[in-house]
Amino acid sequence: MLLQLNNIFKWVNSGGQRIFLLKDINLTVEEGEFISIMGPSGSGKSTLLYLLGMLDGFDEGEYHFLEEPVHTMKEKHRSNLYKEYIGFVFQSYHLLDELTVWENLEMPLLYKKIGSAERKAKVADMLDRFNIVAKKDLFPPQLSGGQQQLVGVARALISNPKLILADEPTGNLNSKQGEEIMELFKQLNSEGVTIIQVTHSEKNASYASRVINLLDGRMI
Amino acid sequence: MFKNYFIIAWRNLIRNKTFSVLNILGLSVSFGVAVLLCLAALFELSYDSFHENVDDMYQLYSSEQFVKGPEVSLSNPEPMAQVVKNEIPGVHDAVRYLDDSALLVKGENNFTLDGAWVDPGFFSMFTFPVAEGNPQPLAEKSHVAITKAAAKNVFGDAKVLGKTIQLLIDGEQKSFEITSILEDLPENSSLGFELVINFENHVEYENSLGQWNQKYHEVYVQLEPNMSPATFHKNSAEVMKKYLGDSIENTISQGTPPDADGNYVSLRLLPMSDRESMMVKDGLVTANHNMVYLLFGVAFLILIIACVNFTNMSIAKSVQRLKEIGMRKTLGAPKKQLFVQLWCESLIIFLISALLGIILGRICLDTFNTIFRTQVSLDQFASIPMLLGFVFFVLLITFLSGGYPAMIMSRMGTIQALKGKWDSNGKNRLRNALIVVQFCISILFISGTLILWQQTNYMKNKDLGFNKDFVISVPLSGNASSYEFIELFRNELINQPGILSVSGADDNLGYGEDGSISKSVMGFDHKGKNVKTNVLTVDADYVKTLDINLLEGRSFDATRAADSLAFIVNESMAKDLGEERPLEATIMLDSTPFKIIGVVEDYHFEELNKSIEPITLIMNPTWGLYYAYVKVAPRNLTNSYDFIEKTWNRLQPGTELRGSFLNENVDSTFR
Repeated sequence: MLLQLNNIFKWVNSGGQRIFLLKDINLTVEEGEFISIMGPSGSGKSTLLYLLGMLDGFDEGEYHFLEEPVHTMKEKHRSNLYKEYIGFVFQSYHLLDELTVWENLEMPLLYKKIGSAERKAKVADMLDRFNIVAKKDLFPPQLSGGQQQLVGVARALISNPKLILADEPTGNLNSKQGEEIMELFKQLNSEGVTIIQVTHSEKNASYASRVINLLDGRMI
Repeated sequence: MFKNYFIIAWRNLIRNKTFSVLNILGLSVSFGVAVLLCLAALFELSYDSFHENVDDMYQLYSSEQFVKGPEVSLSNPEPMAQVVKNEIPGVHDAVRYLDDSALLVKGENNFTLDGAWVDPGFFSMFTFPVAEGNPQPLAEKSHVAITKAAAKNVFGDAKVLGKTIQLLIDGEQKSFEITSILEDLPENSSLGFELVINFENHVEYENSLGQWNQKYHEVYVQLEPNMSPATFHKNSAEVMKKYLGDSIENTISQGTPPDADGNYVSLRLLPMSDRESMMVKDGLVTANHNMVYLLFGVAFLILIIACVNFTNMSIAKSVQRLKEIGMRKTLGAPKKQLFVQLWCESLIIFLISALLGIILGRICLDTFNTIFRTQVSLDQFASIPMLLGFVFFVLLITFLSGGYPAMIMSRMGTIQALKGKWDSNGKNRLRNALIVVQFCISILFISGTLILWQQTNYMKNKDLGFNKDFVISVPLSGNASSYEFIELFRNELINQPGILSVSGADDNLGYGEDGSISKSVMGFDHKGKNVKTNVLTVDADYVKTLDINLLEGRSFDATRAADSLAFIVNESMAKDLGEERPLEATIMLDSTPFKIIGVVEDYHFEELNKSIEPITLIMNPTWGLYYAYVKVAPRNLTNSYDFIEKTWNRLQPGTELRGSFLNENVDSTFR
């Protein structure tokens, strides 16, 4: 078992009223799964994803990641955990525009305090694997959207995460580029990486082995 | 990791060119200004610190009780130094010092040198290194020491050591031997001189020998290392009673209250390091460091403006960086690291600015020195503690003004940052406060400048009670009898159209080209009351030449012999005398009767910020005149000045006319 959510609630208070963002979420994810989270806008998809990624908290319930209780963890410990095991892919890539492709890929390794030689090897490896060696000295704005997302995925993968969380990874791409990214995910999944993606598209959702539907913060 | 920070910081600087340039420009200018102001302040504080014995050195002054209150005098009578040295315990040495010009006669030419007439012990107490010659200058009464610069000025490149020179003292040429050449005085020396002569050669010396009532020179005291000035002060009262008993009894008989210790005359010491910034207050001479505080304060405020500006711009700018911050957090960056990264970016800007600021300060240094009449140099910075202090200061203000934006950003929630939303609830308060502070300081500066400007304008345009626009004052070189010279000068000038009147006096109005200012004060008893007045020795046409308003009576008349026993007083003096009809009053000075022949309207003979004191004009041909005054017609000022210069050069070959209009003199007093 990779992670488990038990009776998760998340809410905000607005004008004396409690508005639920997530309501009683129970979810178990096994290693090697490929899950799509679907639902209309405002149903809590992204909230759930960030919650899984430990970037956002919750108000009630329990979250176990690799048998460890996330809900009782200190901030620092939690950050070490997601730094180690989780990679993120975003709709709008979130590459750092001031850094080259090479430097963007290197960054997660810097925060993991990995030595220079190993960093170089890993980055070179990743560039090779995604066929973007020629682009290594370019800055993100000089790349096409598809290429940027490719770099985004490469960055998520570089620290060998067990889990990749993707927030509408193809949302800003044309269908061909989108398809390429999804194929890539499929391939990664077959190599053993667990993937959870938020998506609107039925087609993309179909790549997954399991689909979770959300409506008004509830799983249906 | 730091390399990565640096790369990001640098690329951000380049990318946001306008932001970077604006910030660096603003900060550099304020760093430059602050550096200059701080240097000026430190320079003020460094006065006389180069003397090795400075911690034990003091300037002696006496504090005397009067009916009106205590008065201090930095001038001392001839026997004082010896008495202080011999009779007050703990005194290592006491030397007399008289700053008076010395006229050097060299063939056809005369040179007026800035002279210091001192006791031989002067050079053991003060640290004025000898460059060449006898390391103990003034070993003999006929020995003199000259500074390198003055030697070059007078003798050019010729060999000076061992040379015999002629000084004109009391109308006679006397021979002296230059036995020592001094290094030029440091800029931060409060004493200034070109030629050092044994005190006993001064013209006043013979007459003042043993006299306690003629105060005319300064005394410097070096205490033993374990002595305190307070003990010295306590011990001095008895000694003063011994020598000034009569005068003290006289003071007591007038009902003068004693000071807190029950004394009427006592001696006090002003630390040598405070001499440059001395200020007289409540019968004490103390250091007035207001200027230093003001300089530091202004420097600090200017830096605050720039830093607040930087902080606000950084915060405003940081909205663009939110996504980066969010992404870094997502990749596992701890708050501390983010803070350090953002702070490093500020540090880069501040370091560049500080460096540019110093360069800017260096470029403006000469202009700054000219405008502010100081002698600041960047060498003052070149000491380890100064540099460390500067670096520490830059780091500190970087920490404050760069740290705040860095803190806000590094504390931002990850999701919030990723979404690029700036949650400004409540956080704007500090920014708003900072903007208000910034505006307040600016307003303070702007209004301060305006007020100062108006004040100066007011002072410049104020009617001072005399004609300052068309009167030229000329410092006399003093080698001929001054009355004869002025007579000659007048005869040569007066027929020239455009020259209206010529006169002379023994003091200048404002600061002239010779930069010297003096004050003579006398006191006497009139109808049982002690009266003090300034005294000005003048030539006959003084009142007319300066257009001073004569209220009553008449001016001096050169043809009336009795006028040498006559006074002209100003209104304040007339009031102080308490005479209803001053023209009928007779004043007894040393049992000689003096008649008041005229009363003039009060005029500002001292600085404008002083109230007008009583003054008495005397026409006494036995006392010298040091300044000639020439009133010219408003037309063709240049022609008139040229004519005066030509006449001067004919009458005083080899000397230079150093005339200046009185309004220039008055303006110089504002600086």
